[in-house]
Amino acid sequence: MNTPISAAFFFRVLLIQLMLSAGGMSAQAPGSDPAPPGGGVPAASGEGAAVGIPATAVPVRGGKPSVLRVSVTNQAWDFIRPWGKRPPFSRRAVGTVLKGGRVLVTGELVANANYVELETPDGGSKMPATVEVVDYEANLALLKAEDPKFMEQFAPLDLAPAVVGDSVSAWQLESTGTVLATPSALTTVEVGRYPLDDSLLLVYRMTVPLQFRDASFTLPVVRTGKLVGLVMRYDNNTKSAELIPAPVIEHFLKDAADGNYDGFPKPGISIANTRDPQFRRYVGLGEGVSGGVYITGVAKNGPADKAGMEVGDVLLRIAGQDVDRDGNYLDPNYGKLLVSNLVTRFFLGDTMPCTVLRKGQRVELKLKMARRSPGEFVVDPYVIDRAPRFYLLGGLLLHELSRQYLKEWGAEWQKKAPEEFLQIEREQEKLFPGGGRKVVILSGVLPSAATIGYENLQHLVVRQVNGVPMNRLSELPDALAKAQDGMHKIEFDGEPGCIYLDAQAVAEGDKALQRNYRIPLLYRLE
Amino acid sequence: MTSLLRRPLVLLIVVGCPLFFAASDLHAQPNEIRKSLARIVNSAQESNYRTPWLPGQTGGGSGTGWVVSNDRLLTNAHVVSNARFLTVEKENDPKKYVATVEHVAHDCDLALLKVEDPGFFKDTKPLPLGGIPEIESTVSVFGYPIGGERLSVTQGIVSRVDFRAYAHSVVDSHLCIQIDAAINPGNSGGPVLQGGKVVGVAFQGYSGDVAQNVGYMIPIPVVEHFLADIKDGRYDRYMDLSISVFPLLNPAYRKALGLPNNDRGVVVSNVQSAGPCAGILKQGDVILAVDGHEVASDGMVTLDGERVQMAEIVERKFLGDAVEVAILRNRQPEKVRVKFDRPWPYPMQATAYEQLPEYVLFAGLLFQPLNRNLMMTYRFSDMRIDYLFDHFISREVYQEHPELVVLSSILPDPVNTYSNEFREGIVDEVNGRKIKTLAGVAEAFAETSEFYVIKFLGTGRPLVLERAAVEGARERIRRRYNVLQEQHLAGH
Repeated sequence: MNTPISAAFFFRVLLIQLMLSAGGMSAQAPGSDPAPPGGGVPAASGEGAAVGIPATAVPVRGGKPSVLRVSVTNQAWDFIRPWGKRPPFSRRAVGTVLKGGRVLVTGELVANANYVELETPDGGSKMPATVEVVDYEANLALLKAEDPKFMEQFAPLDLAPAVVGDSVSAWQLESTGTVLATPSALTTVEVGRYPLDDSLLLVYRMTVPLQFRDASFTLPVVRTGKLVGLVMRYDNNTKSAELIPAPVIEHFLKDAADGNYDGFPKPGISIANTRDPQFRRYVGLGEGVSGGVYITGVAKNGPADKAGMEVGDVLLRIAGQDVDRDGNYLDPNYGKLLVSNLVTRFFLGDTMPCTVLRKGQRVELKLKMARRSPGEFVVDPYVIDRAPRFYLLGGLLLHELSRQYLKEWGAEWQKKAPEEFLQIEREQEKLFPGGGRKVVILSGVLPSAATIGYENLQHLVVRQVNGVPMNRLSELPDALAKAQDGMHKIEFDGEPGCIYLDAQAVAEGDKALQRNYRIPLLYRLE
Repeated sequence: MTSLLRRPLVLLIVVGCPLFFAASDLHAQPNEIRKSLARIVNSAQESNYRTPWLPGQTGGGSGTGWVVSNDRLLTNAHVVSNARFLTVEKENDPKKYVATVEHVAHDCDLALLKVEDPGFFKDTKPLPLGGIPEIESTVSVFGYPIGGERLSVTQGIVSRVDFRAYAHSVVDSHLCIQIDAAINPGNSGGPVLQGGKVVGVAFQGYSGDVAQNVGYMIPIPVVEHFLADIKDGRYDRYMDLSISVFPLLNPAYRKALGLPNNDRGVVVSNVQSAGPCAGILKQGDVILAVDGHEVASDGMVTLDGERVQMAEIVERKFLGDAVEVAILRNRQPEKVRVKFDRPWPYPMQATAYEQLPEYVLFAGLLFQPLNRNLMMTYRFSDMRIDYLFDHFISREVYQEHPELVVLSSILPDPVNTYSNEFREGIVDEVNGRKIKTLAGVAEAFAETSEFYVIKFLGTGRPLVLERAAVEGARERIRRRYNVLQEQHLAGH
């Protein structure tokens, strides 16, 4: 009776190979499905976990577990064909139960979630849940069970920060419901990049051999029964894990406590080091001053701008701490850390004192802390949980430029996406100081009777429609009402300059366009 | 951007050798053709863009040439590019003759060679020039390609006649004939014959993994243009309108411009301010005819019974010539004259040959003007450089920066030990002086100042150098890095 078994075995091998090759293709083609975001322990971990001390089962205190399973079905919008969504995919993760019956997971896990379900560790019972608070920049989310009674069977975990060298263990769930703890120790604490490119927050790092298990996303890391952090990235080759640390989680929870989540503040500055002694002498940093960083950019209307900070100032102190030449301060717990960690400890509306050196004089500034939401940027840094805005005008596909759109070009989007758009994204502060607008683009053309001769137009910035400047897509319907002599005039930034559409042909062709290309709707402006 | 740097077309120069023959054209007039072919061996030296004060690497290759007039050989520009020493050889003559380049046209990949010893031309006869061969007619390719030592002849048929890119300069496009004969490295510069007349010069093909049985030759109109251009002793380059046009196929667009539905006219979508049409044509003008040739709504004209691109009319012009353009502006017909006063002045996107690289070395920082050769040498990772290079013309970057000066590399020294972060920066200002060219950088550094403050494009701190430190480092850097010369500026 060996034959059927080996056949099944071969089938599995074949399946894996197919999946691998499919993955290889999706990495290249723009508009194909992206790989599910990181943070999970990859399935290919295999025998690699032989390193280190073996995992042990964690005893369940008082009969109540502190973790549960979270199943999420995510479905992202398709930014190339913005009328539709990409195929859904499901992931299972470990949620950590906190006080108040809430469940903590990473933000990535619930990005564009269609359905969230909680499940007892042994799989005994399930409960639908909703996302109560989410911060994609801090990569954290709180889930709420539809029926609060479901949470009574769990014992919440408290939070506790840790320092380098502390023994911790990463918790995983066995299919039986047993919690397995893999011991390790924190190796590094630093300010690092979070999955969303612009987020710089505190990160704990450690090396820990984790095996792939049924639910491997957002694993809690625990020290003496308290939550130290959540695993947000895991590299299976080096066995290194990056954690969202307790201080960031605490800030998130405190912010969320009033039911009105604000997010982490940003001062709106960019800085450069002052290590070069020639440069230090040029900016007047004499022998008496040892630190200071040079302000290279101040975002218009940001906290620093409003407080009067200027390009060319040298930042000496921030929130009562000296700033060194590299932009670090000395943290009592962690040692040298980037000053941005001081900034992100504040909450919106707080006042943060700064001292700058300007033309040899010390100037005290008070920054009222604020944050720009993604929608306040000219080019949204991310668009999650919101459908892309678009307008299909007789076959011309118009969007608002966002980084989410650019990311459709895959992992190497910064090289592969249209150069003109990348340039706008990079230089948006300079091109549109103060913001307050979007960039309307033509991504491509669906050939139709109205767009004959325009088939090859793509990746253009739309400047005006019927003489009305296009500062956001929602202005398009009003502009279209201003057609002259039955013509829509669409003007671009750069070639081909402008084109015309027959307004009547557009209106009459809409039905055919929808039918031919099977497009459920022709525009979405909200 | 990558697409501009990618070069799918392969130039056909390589090491090849002497002769053999067997083909209808050779049989037809064996002596004339055999005796008038030459194998050209080029000892070349490339310009050194990485350490521009030092000579570049030597190398070379071989190609084919043929007698075009009583005492001149015609070949491809890429066969003789960067030549330091050229020899030509004939069949049945053991002698190696020294040759020199008399005229070279990198924009159309043609060159004319002079042979010092008149004995070379003793029994040669200039090959007669033909016209554009018929599609589907048979042609024979003569040359010294790889795969053997002797003359090789292959036959093929004419597949199509089209306007397409010439790989040698990357940016130029001219009329081009595709044939299905195997054209291989070493064939470059060789004549393609039909009925005893030259109908083309073999010059480029695809590498085998892209396409097979596709070879390209330069047609006679391009050869004749080159020969006519150099008649006055100087090659002036091809002329160009430096405009973009958009086809007028859309009925709504035609109606908006007041055009009848007659498939005629293209609309001007861009006029380069440095081109000959600046101030004469405007965006939105409709071009109806050029030199009396009606322009169709897809941008084609009919020349000698063939539908070709509108640009083909200008292709036949020379420096000092003019074209008459019939336009419709604000629905009114007008006629304007465009005179070609100069070739395109900003050729930085084209591959350069023979040029000594320009640079300024200051405090171990190497400043060089951005051009294709620099792009190919350094493979910069900064996306801003790619953008400005690719859009140098379309965004008229040249208006503000006729040259983009890049801090391309750094010779490490205590004076610049903190300057590494500025590598790949494009210089915007030096000591408050806006930088437009490399010469501007040199002038700013020549001034005496306590600090030299270099600002780069984009955000970031300025690079600051103290005069005392720069002067203290100067001899040290020269000696350590064997810097033979601290700067080279063209025309200096």
